[in-house]
Amino acid sequence: MRAIRGFVAGFAGALALAGASAASGYHTQFVAQNCNYDPPTPTSYITRSGSLTVALYGAREGYQWAGGCWNDNNVDDSPGDPPETPGTGGEGPDCSGFTFKVWREALDTSSTAFHQWGRLRFVHGPYVAADFKNAVGAPNYPLSKPAAIKMDAFASTGHIGMIYAPNADGSDQIIEAKGEAYGTNIWTRTYRGSSSYSGVRRLGWS
Amino acid sequence: MHETPRPSSGKLAGLAGVLTGVATGLAAAVVAGAAIAQQFGDHALGPLLEATHLPPLLTPPGEQVELRYDVYCTPPSAEQIDEPCDAAGAVFARAGESGPFRELPLVRSDGGGLVARVPDDLSRSPTGLSYYAVIRSERADRTVTLPGGGAAAPQRSLPLQRATVVRLGRHAFGRVRTASERVAEAAWGAGPGQVGLEQGRNLSPIGGSSFDVDEAGTIHVLDQANRRLLRWERGTDAPAHVPLAVDGTLADLEVGEDESIAVLETAPQGERGQVVRLFDRHGTARGTVRLAERGSALRTGPAGPVVLEHPSGQWMPAAIGGRAVSPAEQRRSGTAGRPLRDGAEVVLLRLGNELRVAHVARGGARRAWLLSSETSLAEVQLAEPMGRRLVVVVRAYTDERSEFLVLVLDDRGIAARFAAPAADWAETAPLSRFRLVGASLYQLGSTPAGLFVDRFDLEVS
Repeated sequence: MRAIRGFVAGFAGALALAGASAASGYHTQFVAQNCNYDPPTPTSYITRSGSLTVALYGAREGYQWAGGCWNDNNVDDSPGDPPETPGTGGEGPDCSGFTFKVWREALDTSSTAFHQWGRLRFVHGPYVAADFKNAVGAPNYPLSKPAAIKMDAFASTGHIGMIYAPNADGSDQIIEAKGEAYGTNIWTRTYRGSSSYSGVRRLGWS
Repeated sequence: MHETPRPSSGKLAGLAGVLTGVATGLAAAVVAGAAIAQQFGDHALGPLLEATHLPPLLTPPGEQVELRYDVYCTPPSAEQIDEPCDAAGAVFARAGESGPFRELPLVRSDGGGLVARVPDDLSRSPTGLSYYAVIRSERADRTVTLPGGGAAAPQRSLPLQRATVVRLGRHAFGRVRTASERVAEAAWGAGPGQVGLEQGRNLSPIGGSSFDVDEAGTIHVLDQANRRLLRWERGTDAPAHVPLAVDGTLADLEVGEDESIAVLETAPQGERGQVVRLFDRHGTARGTVRLAERGSALRTGPAGPVVLEHPSGQWMPAAIGGRAVSPAEQRRSGTAGRPLRDGAEVVLLRLGNELRVAHVARGGARRAWLLSSETSLAEVQLAEPMGRRLVVVVRAYTDERSEFLVLVLDDRGIAARFAAPAADWAETAPLSRFRLVGASLYQLGSTPAGLFVDRFDLEVS
């Protein structure tokens, strides 16, 4: 009887310990515990719908400044990361890392090749929002804003979001990694008409 | 000398039990963790089905109506994410707003989406058409209905018969009108009379995310970063502070005739999604309404706050007479036009440089305008009746410049027009920069120094 009681107590204690360890780790160690550094898979073509699907799998997965790794459980597994700290290792991308991964770009800024990055591949890419705004990098091309359609982006010096769908009132639904308090998701925005934002297009859509 | 007691056989059995339990528990945790990692691994893709649709809400005579849907669903594998979605379905359409729906097949379009061509007898109906789509992906094992209310609240497409045609020409930037009066202003900050600013090295400035003006001319600014409402009574320089239990992120605001306060939180609240928070005039919480879909704008309808929700693209009631409306009831009550306090609706559709607007009175009488511009048009910030006229505020823009075009429309065309500055240094809720009260147009603006509300008197003879 004593052996059974001991087994139950030990089993419960071990589970609680494992759970507590995982919970405390999520806030700062999502990347360390879940992400990988696998090489990307080259692909011969990309479509706007395919990239939008990549983006939709990233939605609701949180935000991490300088981040670039997320799973697919529709939960921010590292909520409340300090917003001014890029190295907290939390789940989710930031705005420019999200765009890089969704647009399936290469780490080599002179390459226009298409690279499929796994969701759990931790990668931010070489560009910040201002780089996209200024069309830095071979795959990023300046675009007149009225011509922007789905999966084109609007970028300012501090932020970038990609078009998900147009609204009847002339605003756009934008899919973006907005900030730690917001996460990564779809929102209606008025970036198209804002003079802070420029249009940018990824080259090479099929 | 103290002697260590010798453990009994019973205690030894207990210790063995604890050790076995710990080992088994840790093994179970490892196995469970591995299962979770496998579930969310790089190559495992969960079920996905999303559809978007830009409804042809207003159609000029002779325009061929096509109903297009962009659909995204679970790919065969992570490596085949560019393969077309396997979704298929149909549109159910009818002339006008009553009678049986007719099934129209959705076929794959050149761009990989789905399209239904509307037969001429429906697209030429003088009462327009109503419709909804049902789209299913076998691979995702999911079905979506768009709009979400289906047959109970179908999308509408109205004919633009006898629309007043207005050619706006090319917008002349830099000739903005000076406001009649600056009725409120505040510096950025957290102190008394200041407005908070969300900003950081990785976030564009966001502040004073919405406002409203009541019939008495009282200005209400949502100071979301400081979790409060700032209220400027007419003729006062210093605002009163009303604490609000809000999240502190981008949100829209609407103040009811009884001074009740509604706040549309745009950051999702975990599994609850987006919510509208209801308060009395003192900031006491009166309820929280879970939204059916993503909300983008909040206004006051005939019986309380209404929210523009996506992907349906419909206005849905959030509360009726102070009672929260369930997500299912919201979907069943969706309308294409924005319901006004008097029961009329305003319907609008911006397509490229063209803007189509209709004011549909409660009895169905309709007035419509078809505006075209040589300068690009972005979002319509405001479309409100002013007596027999309609006031429209739409953003005109180029790649470098942006201003708001204020138009007072009547049956002959433009009764008055002027430009207002963009004044959009800080981000706000998307459609919250203008409000109309009587013949006064109010603008929420911002600079690096702070926030202000300007009033423009619309002098129309």
